[in-house]
Amino acid sequence: MISRQSLIVARWEFLRFFKWKQQLISYLLMLAVMGGVFAWVYLTDESRQLYRIAVPGQVTVQNTAQFEFQRPSIDLSQQLQQLRDHQTWHAVLAYQDDRWVLHTGASSKWLPQLEQVLQNYFQLQRAGDFGLTDTQLSELQQPELIERSYLDDDFKGEETPEKMIAFAVLILLLIGLSTAFGQILMSITGEKQQRVTEQLYAIVTPQQWMDGKVLGHSFSALKAMLTTTLVMLVFFVVVSLIAGDGLDLSWLNWWVILWLIPFALAGLLLCACFMGAIAASIDDPNTSGKGVVMMVTWLPLLFTYLVIDSPSGWAMTLLSWLPVSSFAAMPVRMSMVEVPWWQLSLSLALLVGTVYYMRRLGGRIFLRGMQMYGKEPSWGDIMRWALSRKAD
Amino acid sequence: MQLRIEAVTKQYATVTAVNQVSFQIQSGEIFALLGPNGAGKSSIIRMLVGMTKPDAGSISVCYQDQISNHVPRRLLGYLPEDRGLYGDKSVEKNLLFLAQLHGLGKAEALSRMEHWLEVFELTERRHDDLKQLSKGNQQKVQLIAAVLHQPALVILDEPFSGLDPINQEKVVDFLKQLKQNGMTVILSAHQMAMVEKLADRMVLMAKGEVVLAGTLAEIRQQAQPEVQIQLSSKMPLPIDWLRSLDAVTAVDLQQPEQAVLTLQRDAEVGSVLQQLLGRIEPEQIAMQKPDLHQLYLNAMSRHQAQLTQEAAA
Repeated sequence: MISRQSLIVARWEFLRFFKWKQQLISYLLMLAVMGGVFAWVYLTDESRQLYRIAVPGQVTVQNTAQFEFQRPSIDLSQQLQQLRDHQTWHAVLAYQDDRWVLHTGASSKWLPQLEQVLQNYFQLQRAGDFGLTDTQLSELQQPELIERSYLDDDFKGEETPEKMIAFAVLILLLIGLSTAFGQILMSITGEKQQRVTEQLYAIVTPQQWMDGKVLGHSFSALKAMLTTTLVMLVFFVVVSLIAGDGLDLSWLNWWVILWLIPFALAGLLLCACFMGAIAASIDDPNTSGKGVVMMVTWLPLLFTYLVIDSPSGWAMTLLSWLPVSSFAAMPVRMSMVEVPWWQLSLSLALLVGTVYYMRRLGGRIFLRGMQMYGKEPSWGDIMRWALSRKAD
Repeated sequence: MQLRIEAVTKQYATVTAVNQVSFQIQSGEIFALLGPNGAGKSSIIRMLVGMTKPDAGSISVCYQDQISNHVPRRLLGYLPEDRGLYGDKSVEKNLLFLAQLHGLGKAEALSRMEHWLEVFELTERRHDDLKQLSKGNQQKVQLIAAVLHQPALVILDEPFSGLDPINQEKVVDFLKQLKQNGMTVILSAHQMAMVEKLADRMVLMAKGEVVLAGTLAEIRQQAQPEVQIQLSSKMPLPIDWLRSLDAVTAVDLQQPEQAVLTLQRDAEVGSVLQQLLGRIEPEQIAMQKPDLHQLYLNAMSRHQAQLTQEAAA
């Protein structure tokens, strides 16, 4: 049961790192950066321009939306002079010394596209020389399609929006864990250095204090995940509207999102308990090597990512059941294959039970770790504290 | 509230921080723990607060017919020796946070906070970040944090350290006010002059043991049972005659016209004075009362001598 004091500490910790003005500015900057990138890509898109290409009289290549082919009556040297003077032509095709030469000012992004159009034209010409029709040539060029057939009815397919959602889940969890990692390390080691510990121990129990911290920072991490999602969605909507594609959010899987929130929150709580216990044993974050151990909490994300292409495989199934990794693996798995609700519920229940156990374990380490100044406990000490029964 | 500490011992690794210490604290009194660094004062305070437990002996806290082995958190206001608050937050936010943890509502906490900020002349600084304040002012904020919830018992570990003389006097007034409000106060300190003005009772500690205990008068009695007479005259004093007096055990001639006479424990002071007035025309004659600082030094040197003697034996 969470005490009133824990909730006060949670609120304090949440607000300590929540500076809404700076947050708003950072999100607006993020949107501005994304908008700037989008605008830059749009403005430098050379495919939207029409390019005039001078070709010899015998080349009868068809115009495309991007390239207009002309057969000028002037000789090649004059054409090249016009090209140099940036008049009339963007490129000049000539047959010189028994080979085709494409003259142009400098390398450009549209050149490979032009070369592709010309290659197609020459292949068609060669096919005509062999007596092939356009259709026969087209058949020859078409690779044989090998379609995959999945016997697993629950698998939703490759390269689907579901896989994108799975990736997004992992990225969001990474954002959440990174937020919690930074804040917990700063908050706890900062309190030790500012000597707040004894003052607070006289008011709340170490377990109440740690519960409050874990709750506050987990909600802070969840907030970071939700706001990032919101910023991404806003960006997606704006881009869709600018591109004139209309707003289509049908790819969003609300069922996955609904389950993601409790899994993510429980996962963040689990990781925050672990991080809090380790951070409490750090005397000086600048010299301690223990901070790296807090990054162990990122391993479930890595392991899940490595098996993301086999969502029905034993590895993903195992990860989605193990309480230390299910917060990452289960939402990813369920976004790619159908998972029965009872499996989701049971996996979540196991995770919640583990959170409770980790909370007690973390509380015992926190109790002693926060009272140690000047020297750090050994890993043996930490294990002994974790296994002791004393929590207050 | 009554606190009873009985034969308490606390060890850290090979160091005995507190050794067989016993004393009692009565409700509503100001009780001082005195002693040099490493005397064991903070170790006792941490056990009273419940942060550590005694290895031997017992602590019992009796309040409204309930007995506990440490001071319950709801009854306690605490200023730790290792102190600090959130430097990046304002004075007001720090105090409100701690008051709310103690169970106060926001409105009540604000009203009490305003009172104490006024007392310590910090009202203007309430919105400043704590790190912007001087060390002394930060300490005053922490003193306010210790009493904002009006606890039954306030434990202050070195409340005078880091304060200038003016602020030390302010803290003395503050502690007197706490006593008037019915709070029991336990404090540890080095500043004997401050303690002398304040404490109802005290213990003097050295190397984890109680050297002296009681009221100031009792401690005087224990630390310096011999009576001393300060004597000065216009003429040089008859030193041999003074030494020949039966009741006089020692004569400390500070100047030819000035001396301190130490009398036997059971000496009749009145008869000695009569003898002196019969022979000498004194310019000044006074019973000498050593201050707490002197008593403390005397007690410490006696304790040290005793330890050396024991070690030699």
